[in-house]
Amino acid sequence: MNAVHFLNQFFAGCGGEEAASQRPLRLDGAVGPGRQLDIAVSATVVCGDDYFGEMESEALGQLLQWIEDEKPDVLICGPAFAAGRYGYACGTLAREAVRRGIPAVCGMHEENPGVLAADGAAYIVPTGEGVAGMRKVLPRMSDLAHAVVEGRAESAPPGTYLPRGQRANVFVEKSGADRAIEMMLAKIAGDSYETEAKPPLEKVPVPQALASVANATIALVTEAGVVPKDNPDRLEQCRAKGWHSYDISGLDSLQSGSYESVHGGFDVHVANRDPNRLVPLDAVRALQREGRIGRVDGFLYSTTGNCTATARSLKFGREIAQRLKEIGVAAALVTGT
Amino acid sequence: MMVADSSGTSKDLATALVVASYRVAEVRNAPQTRLLAGRLEVNLEELRESALSEPAVTDVQVSLVKPGESVRLANVLDAVEPCIKAESPETTFAGVIGKLEPLGLGLTNRLADLAVVPLCDFRATHDLEREMEAPIRWHSIIDMDGPGRPHTHWGSTTNVVLQFTCNSDDPLAECDRAIRRATAGVARLLASATIDTPADDREIFRWDAVPAGLPGIAAIIQVGADEPLLDTCFYGSSMKDTVPFLIDPREVLDGALTAGAYEYSGVRNPTHFFQRNKLVLSLLKLHGTRIRFVGVIPTLAYLQSNFEKSRHAMIAARLAKSLGATGAIVASYGTGNAQTGTMLTCRACEAMGVKTTVIVSETNGGLIDHVPEADAVISVGNHEELVREWEPETTLGGHFYDVESNAPIESPGPLSLMGYFGSSSQMGDTFLRTVDV
Repeated sequence: MNAVHFLNQFFAGCGGEEAASQRPLRLDGAVGPGRQLDIAVSATVVCGDDYFGEMESEALGQLLQWIEDEKPDVLICGPAFAAGRYGYACGTLAREAVRRGIPAVCGMHEENPGVLAADGAAYIVPTGEGVAGMRKVLPRMSDLAHAVVEGRAESAPPGTYLPRGQRANVFVEKSGADRAIEMMLAKIAGDSYETEAKPPLEKVPVPQALASVANATIALVTEAGVVPKDNPDRLEQCRAKGWHSYDISGLDSLQSGSYESVHGGFDVHVANRDPNRLVPLDAVRALQREGRIGRVDGFLYSTTGNCTATARSLKFGREIAQRLKEIGVAAALVTGT
Repeated sequence: MMVADSSGTSKDLATALVVASYRVAEVRNAPQTRLLAGRLEVNLEELRESALSEPAVTDVQVSLVKPGESVRLANVLDAVEPCIKAESPETTFAGVIGKLEPLGLGLTNRLADLAVVPLCDFRATHDLEREMEAPIRWHSIIDMDGPGRPHTHWGSTTNVVLQFTCNSDDPLAECDRAIRRATAGVARLLASATIDTPADDREIFRWDAVPAGLPGIAAIIQVGADEPLLDTCFYGSSMKDTVPFLIDPREVLDGALTAGAYEYSGVRNPTHFFQRNKLVLSLLKLHGTRIRFVGVIPTLAYLQSNFEKSRHAMIAARLAKSLGATGAIVASYGTGNAQTGTMLTCRACEAMGVKTTVIVSETNGGLIDHVPEADAVISVGNHEELVREWEPETTLGGHFYDVESNAPIESPGPLSLMGYFGSSSQMGDTFLRTVDV
């Protein structure tokens, strides 16, 4: 197994704060703490804390090129403990290496900004705040690096690395049924138990109400998979890969036979008899005629929410919101199924 | 209470379900179907003729497939454990192929570590888009080796595989019924080799009244029953349009519930998981000592309106309550749509003072729906996780089809667990769970 090790100016022996502007540097073999890693280190790459912070893209470009040249099995960064600039460089470099197909292992304190910078891409061994823990951390980083390369990281004991914001499947000794019964008995007895799945923590804050919609432009947005008949853009019935917009400017309502839902998560037969029950164009037009809303945007924005990954849904939402903002839409009526 | 002993007395047979297990160490093709000291000899031609007796079936290929072989089974419909009512073979799978008698009492012989696995490429003979309201389209596979093998129970059983070809002139519903009957028939025929042979072990399942004071626990199990190919059957008929009712847990183990739902392979309930249902087995084991198992309550998944979902949830909860349940284990089925029903059932139970634990499979590593009352959730895996691609030497079961276009394709590519038959059982029959990493 072959590794590349990343260090800042201090741990590479270039100097302290006075050397924080150190430009990227490539050294053969292991240097400093890297010598205590239980892994063959073919090269050590170095960057000063300030240089990385101020010249991030230049630093990344050079460091990644050296790393890729080594064709390593794994990139090891730090440990950075609680050092914020160093941790940020470790996390950022690790994240970018992973995006290029090189697994990465870091070591840092759980509150180091580098944890966020790594964005769940790297495996981060939790450390204390200070360098005093070095001797204990390096073997843990070595072990984890071996586990990552050998594909065993997900079965490591909890706490081996910081949660990466991901969920992974593991086989356990007890069946789901027996775990459910145990949890039930604990719940009835008032004993403590830990649920195995929680709802997402993200809450969408309720936005400020518009003072008036009488002059506002309203857009219709849906995850109900509503498309023109025969689905010209091949919107997916589930796990959508994108969103589409359809010109509805000349329409008073969505006619059955002209519009349909391709959503795969419910029986669309009833809804397709009246697609307005998925996207209420008829009701919005009525409000428009009564003067209770100003305008209806000329397009319907549609995707399929059925089993579409949250990250991808967020991306669609941001893209649609951006477009609506650009064209001056004040509010969106978002319908789901 | 379940007791394993060497014999079931006649009193046991009148008041308990006695399941005699026969371990099968080896299966081979032979002129006569018989069981000799752990070796099952099977006349494959006899099985084929039995399956071909259904008029809607035009051809059946029978093969023996063993763990470790480089074989992939495609278009898997179900898996059935061979069993027979030893004292009244004609009542085996009552309602499906058997004479209608209540199941759940008397002696049932089973062949352990063996399964009958029907495969059918329905799209080769039928236009599913025309004949189904919600056409099935997902892959449904079992790998006997490779990285996918541990993800399905039947990667570790010896399987009698039945590859069915249906008559394209017969309606889909008739073909489906024929396959389910033929599969049950083969399962019974195989198990008939156990008659008058000493069993390796016996389990005695009683469901007697137990002293008051033990906490009452219900198992609320969601099932799919929408249309042919998306059905679950009770004594042979679709459960569509039923409301939650009470099932003796031993009926579940004895073949009263059978699967006919072939969509979302990873998260559906095969017949084999009813026959050896771990929730029912474990709850019966605790019955009388730690709990009072009040019974199994089936509820329907994929109800198409909020009203029907809420109504079903309420009816299931009030039944559990009226049976004296302190707690209910609420098992989900399928994916998002059904899980909304699961969460509403959880909420309805908790509102009536019945504590719940919920069993669900995760989508994209998360819950599709959630209510605050669901504070005790068992995660049986993320069915979106991909399994490394594998190229078997042999594939049985017909074509693969693209999930979006339904066009035939050479290989399904890397599959998520959703495509692995029974990989993430929401009745809790599997050993997978999802963890934060």
